[in-house]
Amino acid sequence: MTVVVTENLTRQFGQVKALDAVSLQLPKGGVIGLVGPNGSGKSTLIRTLLGLIRATSGTAEVLGHSTNRPGEYASRVGVLIENPAFVGSLSAEKNLLSLAALRGIPASRVGQVLKQVGLAGREHEPVRSFSLGMKQRLGIASALLTSPDLLILDEPTNGLDPAGIVEIRGLLKTLAKEGRTVVVSSHLLSELESICDHLVIIRFGKVLFNGPMSQMLERTGAYIDIDTERDADRSALAKALKAAGWKVDVTADGLRVHAAKNRSAELNRFASEAKITLVRIAVAQESLEDLFLEMTGRTDGELAESRAAVKGRNK
Amino acid sequence: MLNVIRSEAIRIAQRRTLLIWFGLMAGFAVMVNTVMGSALSASTGGLPTPGVSLPTREELETSSGIVAGLWSASNMFGVVTLSLWAFFTAQDYSSGLIRLLVASEPNRIRLLAGKAITLAAFTALAVTVAVIANIVAAPAIGGSGISTAAWGQDLPAVLGKAWINLYLSQLIWGALGLVIAVVSRSAMTAVSLGVGYVLTVESVVRMIDGAPVDQLLGTTLGAIAKGGTEVVSYQTAATLGLGYGLIGFIIAGLVFVRRDVTD
Repeated sequence: MTVVVTENLTRQFGQVKALDAVSLQLPKGGVIGLVGPNGSGKSTLIRTLLGLIRATSGTAEVLGHSTNRPGEYASRVGVLIENPAFVGSLSAEKNLLSLAALRGIPASRVGQVLKQVGLAGREHEPVRSFSLGMKQRLGIASALLTSPDLLILDEPTNGLDPAGIVEIRGLLKTLAKEGRTVVVSSHLLSELESICDHLVIIRFGKVLFNGPMSQMLERTGAYIDIDTERDADRSALAKALKAAGWKVDVTADGLRVHAAKNRSAELNRFASEAKITLVRIAVAQESLEDLFLEMTGRTDGELAESRAAVKGRNK
Repeated sequence: MLNVIRSEAIRIAQRRTLLIWFGLMAGFAVMVNTVMGSALSASTGGLPTPGVSLPTREELETSSGIVAGLWSASNMFGVVTLSLWAFFTAQDYSSGLIRLLVASEPNRIRLLAGKAITLAAFTALAVTVAVIANIVAAPAIGGSGISTAAWGQDLPAVLGKAWINLYLSQLIWGALGLVIAVVSRSAMTAVSLGVGYVLTVESVVRMIDGAPVDQLLGTTLGAIAKGGTEVVSYQTAATLGLGYGLIGFIIAGLVFVRRDVTD
């Protein structure tokens, strides 16, 4: 069973492809992480699924209905899109009452969702007096109004303090246990890795990974960080290692050899035979975040350069 | 549709905003009635005041004279109505609420129509406030040597007609505010355009020889509020005004339905 299916979904804004032939199948149930750096296309994908923006080409279905007819599934989907949006001068309760009325939901549901997100007792306060974290909670409350089968939350932990993040993670897990499918987007994998059952990694509008979390974990490998006594030997050793079939990356402080820790002695011997002295050999296991950053780019600058390169290629 | 109207009503019924809206309507009604008498003492009427078209002494002394303040200030009321409709429409964009509204009710025409109907209902209240304030303030005109002996004749019909005409003109002003707000997604732009148009553009155009003065928006909607003038008949003004409103709604509908909700 799937909740979302897209086929070659593309959305172009001028020269930039915010979504580039995205083909996805998101399974029913559990927490699904939609992760990618800022500007990767997460929000565009979410808005396309909700019928807020139209695809340039390709197709998409949500809960078995085409996104060309969002009215057929809107009542079964709860959403939080980017920053929570409310009328600041109205109380939390009035804001939710307005949204409940729009969806034809009884007013009694408002109190329930406010309690669920920990805002009971604050319902009569104007939203403009709320902290960002409280607004996020209110946004999640509004998404829960319909008791949805599918929850789509865009950066729900944005602005929350660490305790708030843990609390929201717990809430998302509980919602998933109740049989709902929760799609959560974030630009940080570390925010989601502990709660996700399924992961989609997106960058420049392209899907880099789509599969169970366990499959992603299998991709994390071991590596050995080494450094040479003389800086000049680094590139020579990297070249020799690559020629011998080792997978090597040059890092800021040496070389990273992707290999299991039991090959460190072999690596040391290799360097010694090449008349190169190693001053550091450190074995480690790649974290999920490392793998994510490796896939998506480590810095905004790196991302900007890559984006410019992609734009250049498209021209 | 009822769900949309109920939802909009909750958001629009903000005490402070309604106080400003109704207060401005009442304030303009009182102000025009207060200054009308003294302004007429110095002239035979028809003073070229921006946004306000003062009546003649003869008009004031008829049975309809009691509601002269309403049609005199109808364009000022119109600017208030335009501004409030624009504010409530653009607020959805500036707050980002539009994303949630469209995701919750993907039928965008229903959303737009629901908002317009709700605003029309609140406009009816605002016009009622203006009419009441006008009745309270109208006796001030009598102090300027103008005979008010005919004012009580056929009063319910006079008031009813005045209410309907003013309401119709305000609906068209409001619709224009909604259109500009949907297109520009900015209350500030809509209000600036509305006020600037009434106070500046129409006044300037009136100075141009051969300009189609009787088809200008302010002239047309003023004529609707007055129930017709020597320049524009009520029927012509109503047809033209409804045409303006209809074209506006078609533009707003097309833009609202077709445009991506990106912010």
